[in-house]
Amino acid sequence: MKADSNLLLFLKRLFPSILVASAFLSVSAQDSKEEAPVVLEKIDPIKLAAQRAALGDLTGEKPFILRESGWKGTINPGEARLVQIQLFRRNEYQFWLAMGDRKAELNLNIYDGEGQKVESEEITYDESNVVSTRVKPALTGVYYVRISLKTTIEDPQEWSMIYAYR
Amino acid sequence: MIKQCLIGVLIAGGLQTGYAQSPDRINLSDPNLVIVDDSVIPIPLEIFASLDKLGAQNWSAQVEKRDIVLDTNRSRTAMLFGLIVSDGFIAVQAEDKDGVKRMGREVLRLASVLGISNSVESHANSIITHAGHGEWDVVRKELDRTRQTAINQMKQQQDEELVDLVSLGGWLGGTEALSAVLKENYTLEGSDLLNQIDLVKQLKSDFNSLPKRARRGKLFSQVEKTLTHLESLMISDASGSISEGKVIEISLSTKNLVNAIYES
Repeated sequence: MKADSNLLLFLKRLFPSILVASAFLSVSAQDSKEEAPVVLEKIDPIKLAAQRAALGDLTGEKPFILRESGWKGTINPGEARLVQIQLFRRNEYQFWLAMGDRKAELNLNIYDGEGQKVESEEITYDESNVVSTRVKPALTGVYYVRISLKTTIEDPQEWSMIYAYR
Repeated sequence: MIKQCLIGVLIAGGLQTGYAQSPDRINLSDPNLVIVDDSVIPIPLEIFASLDKLGAQNWSAQVEKRDIVLDTNRSRTAMLFGLIVSDGFIAVQAEDKDGVKRMGREVLRLASVLGISNSVESHANSIITHAGHGEWDVVRKELDRTRQTAINQMKQQQDEELVDLVSLGGWLGGTEALSAVLKENYTLEGSDLLNQIDLVKQLKSDFNSLPKRARRGKLFSQVEKTLTHLESLMISDASGSISEGKVIEISLSTKNLVNAIYES
Protein backbone atom coordinates (compact mmCIF):
# COMPACT_ATOMS: atom_id res chain seq x y z
CA MET A 1 0.00 0.00 0.00
CA LYS A 2 2.80 2.36 0.96
CA ALA A 3 4.70 1.42 -2.18
CA ASP A 4 1.60 2.22 -4.23
CA SER A 5 1.19 5.66 -2.70
CA ASN A 6 4.90 6.39 -3.18
CA LEU A 7 4.61 5.44 -6.85
CA LEU A 8 1.56 7.67 -7.23
CA LEU A 9 3.41 10.60 -5.67
CA PHE A 10 6.30 10.02 -8.04
CA LEU A 11 3.99 9.86 -11.04
CA LYS A 12 2.20 13.02 -9.97
CA ARG A 13 5.46 14.90 -9.81
CA LEU A 14 6.47 13.74 -13.25
CA PHE A 15 3.18 14.12 -15.03
CA PRO A 16 0.68 16.76 -13.92
CA SER A 17 -2.03 15.11 -16.04
CA ILE A 18 -1.91 12.15 -13.65
CA LEU A 19 -2.51 14.58 -10.82
CA VAL A 20 -5.69 15.72 -12.54
CA ALA A 21 -6.70 12.12 -13.18
CA SER A 22 -6.16 11.07 -9.60
CA ALA A 23 -8.05 14.08 -8.28
CA PHE A 24 -10.97 13.17 -10.49
CA LEU A 25 -10.91 9.49 -9.54
CA SER A 26 -10.56 10.08 -5.83
CA VAL A 27 -13.69 12.21 -5.78
CA SER A 28 -15.74 9.57 -7.59
CA ALA A 29 -15.24 7.34 -4.57
CA GLN A 30 -16.44 10.02 -2.17
CA ASP A 31 -19.92 11.01 -1.10
CA SER A 32 -21.87 12.01 -4.19
CA LYS A 33 -23.26 15.06 -2.32
CA GLU A 34 -19.80 16.63 -2.28
CA GLU A 35 -18.99 19.17 -4.94
CA ALA A 36 -17.18 17.76 -7.93
CA PRO A 37 -13.74 19.19 -8.51
CA VAL A 38 -12.90 21.31 -11.48
CA VAL A 39 -11.13 19.09 -14.01
CA LEU A 40 -8.48 21.36 -15.44
CA GLU A 41 -7.50 19.39 -18.49
CA LYS A 42 -8.83 16.42 -20.39
CA ILE A 43 -6.91 13.24 -19.69
CA ASP A 44 -5.41 11.69 -22.76
CA PRO A 45 -5.12 7.93 -22.01
CA ILE A 46 -2.97 7.33 -25.07
CA LYS A 47 -0.46 10.01 -24.08
CA LEU A 48 -0.56 8.54 -20.59
CA ALA A 49 0.42 5.13 -22.01
CA ALA A 50 3.43 6.74 -23.71
CA GLN A 51 4.33 8.57 -20.50
CA ARG A 52 4.04 5.37 -18.49
CA ALA A 53 6.46 3.66 -20.87
CA ALA A 54 8.86 6.61 -20.54
CA LEU A 55 8.92 6.49 -16.76
CA GLY A 56 11.89 4.15 -16.36
CA ASP A 57 14.10 6.30 -18.58
CA LEU A 58 13.41 9.53 -16.69
CA THR A 59 15.21 8.49 -13.54
CA GLY A 60 18.52 6.92 -12.65
CA GLU A 61 22.07 8.00 -13.25
CA LYS A 62 21.67 9.53 -16.69
CA PRO A 63 17.98 10.33 -16.93
CA PHE A 64 16.31 11.61 -20.04
CA ILE A 65 14.56 14.95 -19.67
CA LEU A 66 11.02 14.74 -20.95
CA ARG A 67 9.65 17.62 -23.02
CA GLU A 68 6.15 18.82 -22.27
CA SER A 69 5.37 19.15 -25.96
CA GLY A 70 4.28 16.26 -28.10
CA TRP A 71 2.24 15.25 -31.11
CA LYS A 72 -1.01 13.41 -31.63
CA GLY A 73 -3.36 12.42 -34.41
CA THR A 74 -5.22 9.59 -36.09
CA ILE A 75 -3.79 7.02 -38.47
CA ASN A 76 -5.21 4.21 -40.61
CA PRO A 77 -3.61 0.73 -40.78
CA GLY A 78 -0.95 0.65 -43.48
CA GLU A 79 -0.43 4.42 -43.35
CA ALA A 80 2.50 6.51 -42.16
CA ARG A 81 2.98 10.01 -40.75
CA LEU A 82 6.11 12.14 -40.63
CA VAL A 83 6.98 14.48 -37.80
CA GLN A 84 9.65 17.09 -38.50
CA ILE A 85 11.98 17.94 -35.64
CA GLN A 86 15.27 19.77 -35.07
CA LEU A 87 17.83 17.58 -33.27
CA PHE A 88 21.22 18.56 -31.90
CA ARG A 89 24.43 16.57 -32.18
CA ARG A 90 25.94 15.19 -28.95
CA ASN A 91 22.47 14.86 -27.42
CA GLU A 92 20.66 11.56 -27.27
CA TYR A 93 16.93 11.52 -27.93
CA GLN A 94 14.23 9.02 -27.11
CA PHE A 95 10.75 8.96 -28.62
CA TRP A 96 7.74 7.03 -27.33
CA LEU A 97 4.76 6.29 -29.53
CA ALA A 98 1.47 4.87 -28.26
CA MET A 99 -1.82 3.95 -29.91
CA GLY A 100 -5.19 3.07 -28.43
CA ASP A 101 -5.78 -0.58 -29.38
CA ARG A 102 -3.58 -3.02 -27.46
CA LYS A 103 -3.37 -5.19 -30.57
CA ALA A 104 -2.01 -2.35 -32.71
CA GLU A 105 1.53 -2.91 -33.98
CA LEU A 106 3.66 0.11 -34.76
CA ASN A 107 6.83 1.18 -36.48
CA LEU A 108 8.85 4.14 -35.28
CA ASN A 109 11.92 5.21 -37.28
CA ILE A 110 14.10 8.27 -37.67
CA TYR A 111 15.23 9.76 -41.00
CA ASP A 112 17.73 12.54 -41.64
CA GLY A 113 17.06 15.71 -43.63
CA GLU A 114 17.86 13.84 -46.86
CA GLY A 115 15.32 11.11 -46.15
CA GLN A 116 17.88 8.45 -45.21
CA LYS A 117 16.97 6.16 -42.31
CA VAL A 118 19.37 6.69 -39.42
CA GLU A 119 20.57 4.10 -36.98
CA SER A 120 18.45 3.95 -33.86
CA GLU A 121 17.83 1.57 -31.01
CA GLU A 122 14.33 0.17 -30.95
CA ILE A 123 12.78 -0.55 -27.57
CA THR A 124 9.68 -2.69 -27.22
CA TYR A 125 7.33 -3.23 -24.30
CA ASP A 126 4.98 -6.00 -23.16
CA GLU A 127 2.17 -4.48 -25.19
CA SER A 128 2.65 -3.97 -28.91
CA ASN A 129 0.75 -0.66 -28.99
CA VAL A 130 3.65 1.18 -27.36
CA VAL A 131 7.08 1.43 -28.90
CA SER A 132 10.13 3.58 -28.36
CA THR A 133 13.34 4.43 -30.16
CA ARG A 134 16.61 6.08 -29.17
CA VAL A 135 18.83 8.04 -31.51
CA LYS A 136 22.12 9.94 -31.34
CA PRO A 137 22.07 12.35 -34.28
CA ALA A 138 25.36 12.47 -36.19
CA LEU A 139 24.75 16.08 -37.20
CA THR A 140 22.69 18.98 -35.92
CA GLY A 141 19.76 19.61 -38.22
CA VAL A 142 16.28 18.67 -39.22
CA TYR A 143 15.15 15.06 -38.87
CA TYR A 144 11.92 13.21 -39.56
CA VAL A 145 10.27 10.75 -37.22
CA ARG A 146 8.22 8.28 -39.25
CA ILE A 147 5.38 6.55 -37.48
CA SER A 148 3.32 3.84 -39.11
CA LEU A 149 0.58 1.41 -38.17
CA LYS A 150 0.85 -2.14 -39.43
CA THR A 151 -2.11 -3.81 -41.12
CA THR A 152 -2.52 -6.38 -38.35
CA ILE A 153 -5.66 -4.52 -37.21
CA GLU A 154 -8.45 -2.88 -39.19
CA ASP A 155 -9.52 0.17 -37.25
CA PRO A 156 -7.92 3.63 -37.46
CA GLN A 157 -5.97 4.49 -34.35
CA GLU A 158 -5.45 7.61 -32.33
CA TRP A 159 -1.78 8.08 -31.59
CA SER A 160 0.36 10.14 -29.28
CA MET A 161 4.12 10.69 -29.36
CA ILE A 162 6.37 12.28 -26.76
CA TYR A 163 10.12 12.73 -26.60
CA ALA A 164 12.98 13.39 -24.22
CA TYR A 165 16.65 14.33 -24.47
CA ARG A 166 19.83 13.96 -22.44
CA MET B 1 6.65 -29.29 -55.14
CA ILE B 2 7.16 -26.03 -57.01
CA LYS B 3 3.50 -25.22 -56.44
CA GLN B 4 3.88 -25.88 -52.68
CA CYS B 5 6.94 -23.63 -52.54
CA LEU B 6 5.11 -20.89 -54.41
CA ILE B 7 2.18 -21.09 -51.99
CA GLY B 8 4.67 -20.91 -49.11
CA VAL B 9 6.26 -17.78 -50.60
CA LEU B 10 2.86 -16.19 -51.17
CA ILE B 11 1.78 -16.90 -47.58
CA ALA B 12 5.03 -15.48 -46.22
CA GLY B 13 4.61 -12.42 -48.44
CA GLY B 14 1.06 -11.94 -47.23
CA LEU B 15 2.13 -12.14 -43.61
CA GLN B 16 4.93 -9.71 -44.25
CA THR B 17 2.45 -7.06 -45.37
CA GLY B 18 1.35 -6.68 -41.77
CA TYR B 19 4.90 -6.68 -40.50
CA ALA B 20 6.32 -4.54 -43.31
CA GLN B 21 9.63 -2.93 -42.41
CA SER B 22 10.01 0.80 -42.78
CA PRO B 23 11.83 1.87 -45.94
CA ASP B 24 15.55 2.65 -45.74
CA ARG B 25 14.97 5.88 -47.60
CA ILE B 26 11.98 8.16 -48.08
CA ASN B 27 11.49 10.66 -50.86
CA LEU B 28 10.79 13.86 -48.94
CA SER B 29 9.39 15.56 -52.05
CA ASP B 30 6.75 12.86 -52.48
CA PRO B 31 3.43 14.76 -52.48
CA ASN B 32 1.71 11.77 -50.85
CA LEU B 33 3.75 12.07 -47.65
CA VAL B 34 1.66 13.16 -44.69
CA ILE B 35 3.66 15.53 -42.52
CA VAL B 36 2.16 16.32 -39.12
CA ASP B 37 1.37 20.03 -38.81
CA ASP B 38 2.20 20.55 -35.14
CA SER B 39 5.69 21.89 -34.79
CA VAL B 40 7.71 21.51 -31.61
CA ILE B 41 10.36 24.17 -31.15
CA PRO B 42 13.42 23.06 -29.14
CA ILE B 43 13.79 24.71 -25.76
CA PRO B 44 17.10 26.44 -24.97
CA LEU B 45 18.08 23.78 -22.40
CA GLU B 46 17.99 21.12 -25.08
CA ILE B 47 20.59 23.07 -27.06
CA PHE B 48 22.63 24.11 -24.02
CA ALA B 49 22.80 20.43 -22.96
CA SER B 50 24.64 19.66 -26.18
CA LEU B 51 27.05 22.61 -25.84
CA ASP B 52 27.85 21.77 -22.22
CA LYS B 53 29.12 18.36 -23.38
CA LEU B 54 32.01 20.24 -24.99
CA GLY B 55 32.96 21.84 -21.67
CA ALA B 56 31.60 24.23 -19.06
CA GLN B 57 30.20 27.45 -20.51
CA ASN B 58 29.79 30.85 -18.93
CA TRP B 59 25.99 30.99 -18.83
CA SER B 60 26.01 33.50 -15.96
CA ALA B 61 27.23 36.19 -18.35
CA GLN B 62 24.03 35.71 -20.37
CA VAL B 63 21.65 36.39 -17.48
CA GLU B 64 20.47 39.94 -17.97
CA LYS B 65 18.21 42.04 -15.81
CA ARG B 66 15.95 44.02 -18.09
CA ASP B 67 13.02 46.24 -17.23
CA ILE B 68 9.86 45.50 -19.13
CA VAL B 69 7.53 48.34 -19.99
CA LEU B 70 4.27 46.91 -21.26
CA ASP B 71 1.99 48.51 -23.81
CA THR B 72 -1.29 47.45 -25.42
CA ASN B 73 0.38 45.48 -28.21
CA ARG B 74 -0.48 41.83 -27.42
CA SER B 75 1.81 40.53 -30.16
CA ARG B 76 4.80 42.17 -28.51
CA THR B 77 3.65 40.93 -25.08
CA ALA B 78 3.47 37.36 -26.45
CA MET B 79 7.03 37.63 -27.80
CA LEU B 80 8.14 39.03 -24.44
CA PHE B 81 6.50 36.07 -22.71
CA GLY B 82 8.55 33.69 -24.85
CA LEU B 83 11.69 35.74 -24.22
CA ILE B 84 11.16 35.78 -20.46
CA VAL B 85 10.69 32.01 -20.32
CA SER B 86 13.89 31.57 -22.33
CA ASP B 87 15.62 33.95 -19.88
CA GLY B 88 14.43 31.57 -17.18
CA PHE B 89 16.07 28.64 -18.95
CA ILE B 90 19.33 30.59 -19.18
CA ALA B 91 19.14 31.50 -15.49
CA VAL B 92 18.57 27.81 -14.64
CA GLN B 93 21.62 26.86 -16.67
CA ALA B 94 23.59 29.47 -14.73
CA GLU B 95 21.94 28.27 -11.47
CA ASP B 96 21.08 31.89 -10.72
CA LYS B 97 18.39 31.78 -8.01
CA ASP B 98 17.57 35.49 -8.11
CA GLY B 99 17.44 35.51 -11.90
CA VAL B 100 14.97 32.62 -11.97
CA LYS B 101 12.79 34.12 -9.23
CA ARG B 102 12.72 37.47 -11.03
CA MET B 103 11.72 35.68 -14.21
CA GLY B 104 8.95 33.78 -12.37
CA ARG B 105 7.46 37.08 -11.21
CA GLU B 106 7.66 38.55 -14.73
CA VAL B 107 5.92 35.47 -16.13
CA LEU B 108 3.02 36.10 -13.75
CA ARG B 109 2.79 39.74 -14.80
CA LEU B 110 2.87 38.98 -18.54
CA ALA B 111 0.45 36.06 -18.17
CA SER B 112 -2.01 38.37 -16.47
CA VAL B 113 -1.86 40.84 -19.38
CA LEU B 114 -2.34 37.98 -21.87
CA GLY B 115 -5.32 36.62 -19.92
CA ILE B 116 -3.71 33.27 -19.09
CA SER B 117 -2.65 33.83 -15.50
CA ASN B 118 -5.04 31.21 -14.05
CA SER B 119 -3.35 28.44 -16.01
CA VAL B 120 0.21 29.62 -15.55
CA GLU B 121 0.12 30.80 -11.94
CA SER B 122 0.78 27.46 -10.23
CA HIS B 123 3.80 26.78 -12.46
CA ALA B 124 5.25 30.26 -11.97
CA ASN B 125 4.84 30.01 -8.20
CA SER B 126 6.46 26.59 -8.25
CA ILE B 127 9.40 28.05 -10.22
CA ILE B 128 9.88 30.79 -7.62
CA THR B 129 9.65 28.35 -4.68
CA HIS B 130 11.91 25.66 -6.10
CA ALA B 131 14.46 28.16 -7.41
CA GLY B 132 14.78 29.41 -3.83
CA HIS B 133 15.72 25.87 -2.78
CA GLY B 134 18.05 25.37 -5.74
CA GLU B 135 15.95 22.44 -7.02
CA TRP B 136 16.95 22.94 -10.63
CA ASP B 137 15.45 19.75 -12.06
CA VAL B 138 12.02 20.80 -10.82
CA VAL B 139 12.49 24.38 -12.03
CA ARG B 140 13.51 23.10 -15.45
CA LYS B 141 10.36 20.98 -15.73
CA GLU B 142 8.15 23.80 -14.48
CA LEU B 143 9.60 26.21 -17.04
CA ASP B 144 8.74 23.85 -19.87
CA ARG B 145 5.29 23.34 -18.35
CA THR B 146 4.80 27.12 -18.09
CA ARG B 147 5.59 27.51 -21.79
CA GLN B 148 3.40 24.58 -22.85
CA THR B 149 0.50 25.52 -20.56
CA ALA B 150 0.54 29.08 -21.90
CA ILE B 151 0.46 27.76 -25.46
CA ASN B 152 -2.37 25.31 -24.70
CA GLN B 153 -4.38 28.05 -23.02
CA MET B 154 -3.85 30.43 -25.94
CA LYS B 155 -5.03 27.75 -28.35
CA GLN B 156 -8.10 27.20 -26.20
CA GLN B 157 -8.80 30.93 -26.24
CA GLN B 158 -8.34 30.90 -30.03
CA ASP B 159 -5.35 33.21 -29.76
CA GLU B 160 -3.44 31.09 -32.30
CA GLU B 161 -1.30 33.99 -33.50
CA LEU B 162 0.01 34.53 -29.99
CA VAL B 163 1.16 30.88 -29.88
CA ASP B 164 3.52 31.42 -32.81
CA LEU B 165 4.83 34.64 -31.26
CA VAL B 166 5.54 32.97 -27.90
CA SER B 167 7.46 30.24 -29.75
CA LEU B 168 9.33 32.82 -31.79
CA GLY B 169 10.27 34.84 -28.69
CA GLY B 170 11.46 31.71 -26.89
CA TRP B 171 13.58 30.57 -29.80
CA LEU B 172 15.02 34.05 -30.29
CA GLY B 173 16.06 34.36 -26.63
CA GLY B 174 17.74 30.96 -26.68
CA THR B 175 19.52 31.69 -29.96
CA GLU B 176 20.76 35.04 -28.68
CA ALA B 177 22.31 33.37 -25.61
CA LEU B 178 23.73 30.45 -27.59
CA SER B 179 25.36 32.66 -30.23
CA ALA B 180 26.75 35.02 -27.56
CA VAL B 181 28.39 32.09 -25.74
CA LEU B 182 29.75 30.70 -29.02
CA LYS B 183 31.06 34.13 -30.02
CA GLU B 184 33.02 34.39 -26.77
CA ASN B 185 34.38 30.86 -27.03
CA TYR B 186 34.20 29.87 -30.69
CA THR B 187 34.76 26.24 -31.66
CA LEU B 188 33.95 24.55 -34.95
CA GLU B 189 32.28 21.73 -33.05
CA GLY B 190 30.02 23.98 -31.00
CA SER B 191 29.06 26.16 -33.95
CA ASP B 192 27.04 23.33 -35.50
CA LEU B 193 24.31 24.04 -32.95
CA LEU B 194 23.40 27.09 -35.02
CA ASN B 195 22.71 24.90 -38.02
CA GLN B 196 19.00 25.61 -37.71
CA ILE B 197 18.09 26.74 -41.19
CA ASP B 198 14.97 24.57 -41.48
CA LEU B 199 13.78 25.74 -38.11
CA VAL B 200 14.26 29.43 -38.96
CA LYS B 201 12.45 28.86 -42.28
CA GLN B 202 9.55 27.35 -40.40
CA LEU B 203 9.46 30.20 -37.86
CA LYS B 204 9.55 32.73 -40.69
CA SER B 205 6.78 30.96 -42.53
CA ASP B 206 4.67 30.82 -39.34
CA PHE B 207 5.36 34.53 -38.76
CA ASN B 208 4.43 35.50 -42.31
CA SER B 209 1.21 33.50 -42.03
CA LEU B 210 0.02 35.61 -39.10
CA PRO B 211 -2.78 38.07 -39.81
CA LYS B 212 -1.39 41.48 -40.75
CA ARG B 213 -2.98 43.11 -37.70
CA ALA B 214 -0.82 40.87 -35.50
CA ARG B 215 2.45 42.01 -37.09
CA ARG B 216 1.88 45.66 -37.89
CA GLY B 217 4.53 48.24 -37.08
CA LYS B 218 8.25 48.88 -37.14
CA LEU B 219 9.13 46.16 -34.62
CA PHE B 220 7.49 43.45 -36.68
CA SER B 221 9.20 44.64 -39.88
CA GLN B 222 12.45 44.15 -37.98
CA VAL B 223 11.37 40.65 -36.95
CA GLU B 224 10.78 39.70 -40.58
CA LYS B 225 14.07 41.22 -41.76
CA THR B 226 16.03 39.53 -38.98
CA LEU B 227 14.53 36.11 -39.74
CA THR B 228 15.42 36.54 -43.42
CA HIS B 229 18.95 37.55 -42.43
CA LEU B 230 19.32 34.58 -40.06
CA GLU B 231 18.14 32.26 -42.81
CA SER B 232 21.09 33.39 -44.91
CA LEU B 233 23.52 32.97 -41.98
CA MET B 234 22.48 29.59 -40.60
CA ILE B 235 23.92 27.68 -43.52
CA SER B 236 26.61 25.24 -42.46
CA ASP B 237 29.53 23.84 -44.44
CA ALA B 238 29.84 20.15 -45.31
CA SER B 239 30.96 19.28 -41.77
CA GLY B 240 27.93 21.01 -40.28
CA SER B 241 29.93 23.95 -38.87
CA ILE B 242 29.07 27.65 -39.05
CA SER B 243 31.97 30.08 -39.53
CA GLU B 244 33.05 32.40 -36.72
CA GLY B 245 32.08 35.44 -38.79
CA LYS B 246 28.56 34.12 -39.20
CA VAL B 247 28.31 33.30 -35.49
CA ILE B 248 29.25 36.91 -34.66
CA GLU B 249 26.67 38.16 -37.16
CA ILE B 250 23.97 35.87 -35.72
CA SER B 251 24.82 37.10 -32.23
CA LEU B 252 24.56 40.77 -33.23
CA SER B 253 21.43 40.28 -35.25
CA THR B 254 19.54 38.39 -32.52
CA LYS B 255 20.76 40.79 -29.81
CA ASN B 256 19.49 43.80 -31.78
CA LEU B 257 16.09 42.21 -32.22
CA VAL B 258 15.80 41.16 -28.57
CA ASN B 259 16.71 44.71 -27.49
CA ALA B 260 14.14 46.13 -29.89
CA ILE B 261 11.42 43.88 -28.45
CA TYR B 262 12.27 44.90 -24.88
CA GLU B 263 12.64 48.60 -25.66
CA SER B 264 9.93 49.30 -28.22
